[in-house]
Amino acid sequence: MIDLLTTHYNYIASILLFGIGLYVVMGSPNLVKKIIGMNIFQVGIFLFFVTTGYVDGGAPPVVGHGEETFVSPLPHVLILTAIVVGVSLTAVALALVIRIYDGYGSLDEDVIKEVQVDD
Amino acid sequence: MQLLLYGVLLTFVVFAALAVAFLRDILSAIIAFAGFSFGVAIVYILLRAPDVALTEAAVGAGVTTVLFLLAIVRTVRPGGDRLFERVAWGPAIIATGLVGVLLTTVRSLPTIGDPNSPVATSEITRYYLENAYPQTDVENVVTAILAAYRGFDTLGEAAVVLAAGLAVLVVLRKEVYV
Repeated sequence: MIDLLTTHYNYIASILLFGIGLYVVMGSPNLVKKIIGMNIFQVGIFLFFVTTGYVDGGAPPVVGHGEETFVSPLPHVLILTAIVVGVSLTAVALALVIRIYDGYGSLDEDVIKEVQVDD
Repeated sequence: MQLLLYGVLLTFVVFAALAVAFLRDILSAIIAFAGFSFGVAIVYILLRAPDVALTEAAVGAGVTTVLFLLAIVRTVRPGGDRLFERVAWGPAIIATGLVGVLLTTVRSLPTIGDPNSPVATSEITRYYLENAYPQTDVENVVTAILAAYRGFDTLGEAAVVLAAGLAVLVVLRKEVYV
């Protein structure tokens, strides 16, 4: 297990981020924090992808400057797209949260459920 | 040396994420999230992914934080005298279970930086690195793939951003601007 920490450190960190993200999404009663949790989960996936493309001693994928080995550019491209899509997702989710707050006067999941029952 | 740097950064990132999870004040959690994004951006630089690092720092730590701040300006910032939230044990057990199951798979992944890993030796990686400059005249292979080889993908991304912008306006009942 200890040897994994020295050879697979980024994968372990991204798995820990999955766990923390899932915990925040499920455990936090506050809707804004749930969205932050979703972002943490996403960043865990991004870290995983970018790590798969890394090569020891590789240069950043900018060719024509004399380097021989490069890290794989494809995971970088996929993650660039994913980051932008993630921000769009966050924006829509936060807009929905603001509307929920206008309707229920609270961001607390439990209070919102109570208001629904009372109606 | 490299390993020590990774150790410090990843510890910072994981603890920043834990701070987000347990800080009760939303503003503090958002600031911790901005620091978390910035730490991850530096990890991307160590992984030789400068484009991803710049995007993460600008969009992840910048734009996302601004969006969260705008959201709490429009809503509430729950007060309270406690600094930390109580642990929700049910979700904590489920999340620990997920981490435990996933950790058992780590051993079968290739070592970080392994030049013989499937991604590094993949035909696609080799093709892009060899042909991106001759075919597109762009030295940065990431840009070449993003704008040329996967141009339709990027167009779709632009469509997603447009749809998200319209959705935000509609949800907030600002159709007058559409």
